[in-house]
Amino acid sequence: MALVPGRPVLADHTRGGSAVRYDSITEAIGNTPLVRIDPAVHGLSNIDLYAKLELLNPFGSVKDRAAWNMARPHLTAAASEEGGQVVELSSGNTAKALAVLAGMHGLTFKSVTNRMRIPEIKDLLLLLGAEIEELPGQSECLDPTATDDPLTLFHRTLSEPGSTFLHTDQYFNPRNTEAHFTGTGPEIVKDLDGRAPDWFIACVGTAGSSTGVARALREHDPAVRVVGLVAAKSDFVPGIRTIDEAHEVGLFDPGTYDTIETVSADEAIEGMLTLNRRCGILAGPTGGAAYFGAIRQLKSLDAELTERQSAVFIVCDRVESYLSYVRQRRPDLFGRPRRATSPADLTDAEIRTAPAIGVTDAQAWIATGEPIVIDLRSPYAFAALHIDGSVNIVDELFEELLHGGLPFSRTRPVLLACPVGEKSARYAALLTRLGHPDVRSLTGGIIAWRDAGAPLVRD
Amino acid sequence: MGGQPLYLAPRLGPRLRSLLDTPELLHTLTDALGSPLNVILPDQLADNLRQFRAVYDTHHLSGQVFLAHKANRSSALLRRLAATDAGVDVASLGELQHALGAGLTPDRITATGPKNPEFLWLAARTSVTVSLDTRGELEQLATLVRGHALPRARVLLRLSGFETSGVRVLTRRSRFGTPVAESAALLDAVERHADVLDLVGVAYHLDTTSLAEKAVALEGCLRVLEECRSRGLRPRAVDIGGGFGVNYLADGGQWERYTTALTEAVLGIRPPLTHGGHGYGLRNESGTLRGTLGLYPAHRPIAGARYLDELLSHPAASLGGRPLAALLLEHLYDLHIEPGRALLDQCGLTLTRVLEVRDQEADGPLAVRLAAKADDVALEDHGVLMDPVLVPEGSPGPPVPVHLFGNLCLESDLITRRTVFLPRRPAPGDLLAFANTAGYCMDFHATRAQHQPAAPKAAAWQEGGRWRWCLDDQYWPTTPVGGAQ
Repeated sequence: MALVPGRPVLADHTRGGSAVRYDSITEAIGNTPLVRIDPAVHGLSNIDLYAKLELLNPFGSVKDRAAWNMARPHLTAAASEEGGQVVELSSGNTAKALAVLAGMHGLTFKSVTNRMRIPEIKDLLLLLGAEIEELPGQSECLDPTATDDPLTLFHRTLSEPGSTFLHTDQYFNPRNTEAHFTGTGPEIVKDLDGRAPDWFIACVGTAGSSTGVARALREHDPAVRVVGLVAAKSDFVPGIRTIDEAHEVGLFDPGTYDTIETVSADEAIEGMLTLNRRCGILAGPTGGAAYFGAIRQLKSLDAELTERQSAVFIVCDRVESYLSYVRQRRPDLFGRPRRATSPADLTDAEIRTAPAIGVTDAQAWIATGEPIVIDLRSPYAFAALHIDGSVNIVDELFEELLHGGLPFSRTRPVLLACPVGEKSARYAALLTRLGHPDVRSLTGGIIAWRDAGAPLVRD
Repeated sequence: MGGQPLYLAPRLGPRLRSLLDTPELLHTLTDALGSPLNVILPDQLADNLRQFRAVYDTHHLSGQVFLAHKANRSSALLRRLAATDAGVDVASLGELQHALGAGLTPDRITATGPKNPEFLWLAARTSVTVSLDTRGELEQLATLVRGHALPRARVLLRLSGFETSGVRVLTRRSRFGTPVAESAALLDAVERHADVLDLVGVAYHLDTTSLAEKAVALEGCLRVLEECRSRGLRPRAVDIGGGFGVNYLADGGQWERYTTALTEAVLGIRPPLTHGGHGYGLRNESGTLRGTLGLYPAHRPIAGARYLDELLSHPAASLGGRPLAALLLEHLYDLHIEPGRALLDQCGLTLTRVLEVRDQEADGPLAVRLAAKADDVALEDHGVLMDPVLVPEGSPGPPVPVHLFGNLCLESDLITRRTVFLPRRPAPGDLLAFANTAGYCMDFHATRAQHQPAAPKAAAWQEGGRWRWCLDDQYWPTTPVGGAQ
């Protein structure tokens, strides 16, 4: 163990978990509560199931512990160097924690990632001042002899002489595991009145938390059974690796786990909803996966038990960052009543019979000076080329306006234009339904207008 | 052989399936024309084209689909293409001559890639659109057109080195194209040579499977086109190149099982799955998997026309988040694409004859020698792992592991390094058919090393419920009965 005697690492060591006044936010890392899940929710009669609420760490996840433990010894030295930068391969919570820690110490942070798949986390990282680099995708015309894959190149850059990078290397750094061996694991034992649980269930990401906690628990009681959860191979659950990806992790040792089980994205969301809606725990999908995996593992066993057992799973982070992830997979959860005046309500017949006008007639009509010409394309396209005298209201905005009723007087004729006359027909139909007496769609749209040789201008 | 057989069954469309169900014909063909033999299915090309056109229709886009000629040298494919409304992308003087000779008119041809003066001259002489890589090439073409009093040349500017803001999307450096940062000088040159050059639009081609990188490039092109318009130029098109990919395998589960087993084999958890324990780029460093899997993602549900659809639906982050298709449409640009592999999906197969079947160690894989060199079946060169089909199929027995060797006097002449499982023990005289080789895997790499033959090509088509064939060079759209009408 690389701990300096007398030099506390985690909050619980310094405060015994009781103080609430800190000198630095980093002291609030760790010492998270262990909360019992109501048996009425999980349905197990002989097992007490506890959630270790890592989502209550100050930067929002279990990774706060590892990030702080890995970066802390080097931050001061890195900050004294010109242009010092913390670098990590992370697309999520470790990046978030490191970005905060780097900023607190006057350093910049760069996250290098294969794919940032969660847009909210990407935006949050940018907000925190992080730099994000996405590695290139696989070559389509593959050269199987090429050895300079992007990751190799990344490591080469880090080890160049004179580099001022502080690479925390979460997948290989033993201080990742150590944070949990000295923190998370002992906290669980302490909160269970000095006993290790019979079961420990954890998702495998960097394998840091599962390995560290498992080691601490087993040191206390070698009989603890550890369940590792990985994502199904074709699936994506944030914070969890597939079994193949786990093999790429230096900290991952299959021997840590008594069993390794697969969990799908749907199951993770199912578990998450139970925690969110029934337990008051605002866990994200990773915590949901751990809950789902725990129940699945324990259910069959529960009936045969003659004495009480206990189980602990980790709630990694919070739900708020995953709304788009959930929306993509479970749009039903976001079902909102459809608003009345929306182009989606129109019947095919309404669209087909929407009043329209061809290019030649439209030119003559515009020449009378009567109609207002509304161009529904994006402002970029409008700025490039448009019909002289037209007004640009991009379709999304126009739809919003129409929710509130007609945005212009009934006495003013309207000519609607879009690229090919499809969207304009929908809106012409909608305006007609709203009672506008003289609205027309430009047949064939701006493309037909151009192809007919009618003038388009830039301002 | 440690555990369950690991199959990687090829995805076979109705045409390839039907052809493989006529073993007599395939044996007759190889008896007459020799092994290896490439069989081309020209009609499939037209079907694939329709799928791409359907995506254009969904997004209301216009523009041309250009077959990347370099993927296959077949005349039958090019002549069949000429009978559709699609175009061809040529990358050499020979390819341009071939395309013109196959009946593709200059308005349906784009010249790309490294060019010599002869190639440039013929392209300009025939008014083929030329995709220019550098300012030097632009100057060269302008001089050529003036010096030889050629018609005003239609040009595309190929760009590279696209920049992003916010998230930095890294991409491999391309040796083709002009960096976007230097596009201003390029446009100055276009304006200076306006009397001899007519700017059609801009182009990019990125060698990546990543949608995000391509979206960044397309956004970059739109910005350059906007710059063109502000200079008073009137570009009409964006050419986004190819790289839409092919789904080679029938079963995603097989692919997942195989790749998992391969990582386990590399880590020593299970016996090797390859000749000599080859790891396809993966290696074991003290129990941790290192390296990168150097394999084509052979099971790829989103490939070809579906990939194009995804790309066009991708939101343009720097341009208000509207889908790329909507931006192209609103800016009134035509979309040109240059698929090679994807347009030739299911367009042919390679037949090889089994010469020798030899037992190696007990229960180990059989050594099977084929009348073909590894470069005749270039799937492995492209990192594509896919089972060959045994012809005739025979009655299935217990699966038989084999290693497939080529006929060169060279240790490394392996058709694939993978241990392949066949549904029965093969015998000399059997055929092994490698499906779906028309895109890059037929003649791109084939040599005549050691005076071994390179595979000839035959074109095959269905007529009145039966398969008909001719030599590739004999095929014209009039060849099938009814084709002349």
